[in-house]
Amino acid sequence: MTSNTAIKVTNLTHTVTSNTGNLTILKGINMEIKESESVAIVGSSGSGKSTLLGLLAGLDVNTSGDILVYDQPFSGQSEEKRALIRGEHVGFVFQSFHLLPSLQAIENVMLPAELKGDKDARVKAEALLEKVGLSHRLTHYPRQLSGGEQQRVAIARAFASNPKILFADEPTGNLDEENGKLIIQLLFDLNRSQGTTLVMVTHDNELAKMCDRQLVMSAGQLTEKSL
Amino acid sequence: MSFTFRLMLRDLRSGDLLTLLLALIISVSTVTSIGLFIDRLQLSFEKESATLLAADRLVRSDDEISKDWVTKATDLNLQYAERTSFTTMMFANDALQLSQLSAVTDAYPLRGRFLVDDSLFGTGYNTIDIPQPGEVWVSSRLASLLNVDIGDQVEVGDTSLTIAKLLVRDPGSSTSAFAISPRAVMNMADVAATNVIIPGSRVRYSLLLAGDKAALDEYENWVTPQFNDSQRWRTPVQRGERIGDTIGRAESFLLLAGTLAVVMAGVAMALASARFVKRHLMQVAILKTLGATPKLLGKVFFQQLAVLFIVGSVLGLAIGWGIQEVIASILSGLMSTGLPEPSVIRLWLGAATGLISMLVFCLPLMSHLIKISPLSVLQPNARVELNSALIYVVGFMGIYGLMCIYTNGFLLPTIMTIAIAGIALFVAGIGWLAFKLGRSLTSGATSGWQIGLASLYRRLVPNLFQLLVFTLIIMLTLILIGIKSNLIADWQQQLPEDAPNHYLFNVQANQIESINSATDALNVPRSDWYPMVRGRVVSVNNESVQDLYPDERGEPELYERELNLTWSDTIGQGNTLVSGNFSAEGLSVEQEAAKEANLTLGDELSINIGGNLVTLPITSIRTVDWGSMQPNFYLILPRSVLQDYPANFVSSLFIDETSAQPFYKSMAQFPTVSILNVGDVLRQIQTIIGQLSKAIQLVLFCILSAGALVLLASVRSTLEERLEEGALLRVLGAKSALVRQALLVEFGALGFFAGLIAALGAEACLLGLQVFVFNSAPSFHPSLWLFGPAIGIGVITSIGLLASRKVLNVPPMHLLRDL
Repeated sequence: MTSNTAIKVTNLTHTVTSNTGNLTILKGINMEIKESESVAIVGSSGSGKSTLLGLLAGLDVNTSGDILVYDQPFSGQSEEKRALIRGEHVGFVFQSFHLLPSLQAIENVMLPAELKGDKDARVKAEALLEKVGLSHRLTHYPRQLSGGEQQRVAIARAFASNPKILFADEPTGNLDEENGKLIIQLLFDLNRSQGTTLVMVTHDNELAKMCDRQLVMSAGQLTEKSL
Repeated sequence: MSFTFRLMLRDLRSGDLLTLLLALIISVSTVTSIGLFIDRLQLSFEKESATLLAADRLVRSDDEISKDWVTKATDLNLQYAERTSFTTMMFANDALQLSQLSAVTDAYPLRGRFLVDDSLFGTGYNTIDIPQPGEVWVSSRLASLLNVDIGDQVEVGDTSLTIAKLLVRDPGSSTSAFAISPRAVMNMADVAATNVIIPGSRVRYSLLLAGDKAALDEYENWVTPQFNDSQRWRTPVQRGERIGDTIGRAESFLLLAGTLAVVMAGVAMALASARFVKRHLMQVAILKTLGATPKLLGKVFFQQLAVLFIVGSVLGLAIGWGIQEVIASILSGLMSTGLPEPSVIRLWLGAATGLISMLVFCLPLMSHLIKISPLSVLQPNARVELNSALIYVVGFMGIYGLMCIYTNGFLLPTIMTIAIAGIALFVAGIGWLAFKLGRSLTSGATSGWQIGLASLYRRLVPNLFQLLVFTLIIMLTLILIGIKSNLIADWQQQLPEDAPNHYLFNVQANQIESINSATDALNVPRSDWYPMVRGRVVSVNNESVQDLYPDERGEPELYERELNLTWSDTIGQGNTLVSGNFSAEGLSVEQEAAKEANLTLGDELSINIGGNLVTLPITSIRTVDWGSMQPNFYLILPRSVLQDYPANFVSSLFIDETSAQPFYKSMAQFPTVSILNVGDVLRQIQTIIGQLSKAIQLVLFCILSAGALVLLASVRSTLEERLEEGALLRVLGAKSALVRQALLVEFGALGFFAGLIAALGAEACLLGLQVFVFNSAPSFHPSLWLFGPAIGIGVITSIGLLASRKVLNVPPMHLLRDL
């Protein structure tokens, strides 16, 4: 792997056990994502996009094959080790935002830095919320925010730990067009300004087109879509 | 501030942690308050009973108390006093009277007080003194029989004593037939000078002890192996057996109540923990995606639980202490001896409840919480794999262990566990059938009825669980109410306020009429007069008693002493015929005595009455209520057999305070009649019963409050689903009234079934408890069948609607956003 490779996947296979027997969701996937690249993973529902994203982010353990994130293997690692790698390199933005309902906007954004023991968590969080245009909503709880605002808090939180890779799962899936555009703008701006690698699962062709590369997931296999 | 505490403070704001903390506080405070209160009551009963004995423990002996025994008591730092009781003739002027004298040492009585007066037949005042050497205190009755008053001299044996006070009550006074003679108390220092105690005299020596329980136990273990046949070790409970029985039942009740409090506390903790975990599943998954390692999360939750335990236990113990203080202050006016301070050491029980509850309910659930896959954030339907069986087993072991610690044994917890398991199965079966039936009767969703009944079946497992919790709590409530009313009614029935408190003995037939007119003039209620003839059973079915029991070993009471025999045409108050014919020309035998002597209908007894041998078959067997305070007899003979023998008569009377003085005065004209006053003992028993009844009602109230909180926690545990459904229905255009109706039907049906099954269970349990634990007659409780469903529908619907009011009042958009 060259030094500017963020993620390298070799022969990745993932099988789950269901009521009807074993089901192979990912079948021998190979791919490489460079640092600062933005990559969209597209495909129909149930094609395995989210499963691939989960494995790339170390949220689950693959059945066989290798995943390297900045030269560190995810495969075969304990949850403890994978959590450490996630904390160091990875940020997330989810379709359903996943803010902690009991925490205010600022506290949600402070979480990643607090987990790392960063003393300046609050200052950094305030700055990030300002960047996403929510400096007037610091002490609001998620339920007091609109969908678009919640997703902006989620983006601020994702960038709070200065991640090298940002995984986004349908980030505009729950938003209207206007808010969707705002969020996409924010994501790409931050991606560029911080040099973050962006890996995004989306149904939205427009959004996919904005990425450097598009990978198409179909029946558990991944192909590169020529732009 | 560390991350753990910051997270915790934020969690507190959201209310989830607060629910858990509240459950813990309720658990600890309920168990603490009930534990401490029961402890104080027990100490108080012991103290109260001890006044009947005048000591904490007593050694009774027909031989003089050994000096070694006194030395040993001193060695163990026990307080001690001695009493020597004997019957002797007392002389004054020309009068003489057989009297019951007690000589006591300075420390007497160790518990309780003498009640004395300075005028004849006065009601008395307390004193801590005893008669000085050269003095004697005599009862008003003795004084009137001897025609003496304060300051006069009476002769006891070779010495002369001055009457210093009139004795109203001796705290250790005996109520046995031995004490029928009028009483007097003197100083031990004067006994030798009287020269009345000579070898062969009938004297009863007592060594009275008081002090630390451990030292008393040690003394008991040391002294009892040295006892000869005449020596006995007496405890307050043995002494006042009726009180012992009453207290025993009350303790059973309180223990049962306390154990139920432990179970409810456990259920409350389990429900709160489950809710906490459910609400935190996604939070943990998100924290994991943000890089929180399982180790870090483990540390965070462990520290949170530790803080929760410390805060919850300290607050719970403090509140528990406060509650029992409030209960005690409410009761303080009733307790004649005052409530002793609770033992601080009993606090450990509350703290242990908190710790074990946390360990068995929170810890396993939290450890599962930490194991949730971070993938759940991408796949919201991914369920955390909870090893439920293990959690239930650990939880059950925890509650069982707590119950065992609490009751200090295995029997009650085991019986309760089996009962609860049986009920759980029953509830699951009945509930499943009922809910399924409800579902099949309703199709579509056009009315609140249909939606409500359909919901019952749709949320089958949570609803069955809730049904079980509701059933158990309503059942326990019904059982406790049932036991409470049973116990109190039983006690009151046993000792009505006008229970006879005096017996008249040695009354001659020609005195009856005069005594009747004297008592009628005072409006004193009196039982019938029973003739008494002394007789001794000498042979059974032509075999002599001496041959049957050559060394008197195992000789039944019926044969071992001379009996009081009577005749009666009717079976009499407090007697119930078990078998045979009471009117037949034969013997009527009391059931227990017959059982002990192995006698049945048709057996023939030969009785020696005044030198004549009378042989009669047993023609009836009856039970006797010995607690009725009426004159009772082992053997009743036909009138034709006994009426020609010289008899004296016995009767019982109820004399209230106002008629006491004139009654005693009027009885002075019958010097040969013996009066036995059991009023003090009865009053003490009635006081204790009064205290117990109040105490039991308060404890019941505490338990019911805990039960209501558990119900609330249980409803809250399924709140989200109900809120979501209600909100969706309203979004789809349902009016608030429809949603309210659906909720009413769902909670109402749950409450109705729970109440009905609870009534069934409570009826069965009460029958079992009546027969096996409280030894009272079984009875049917129709009110349970009314109260059960009524409580179920009323309470559960109110709690349910209260907890779900958000569904009806908050705009559905807000609800959906919050979920």
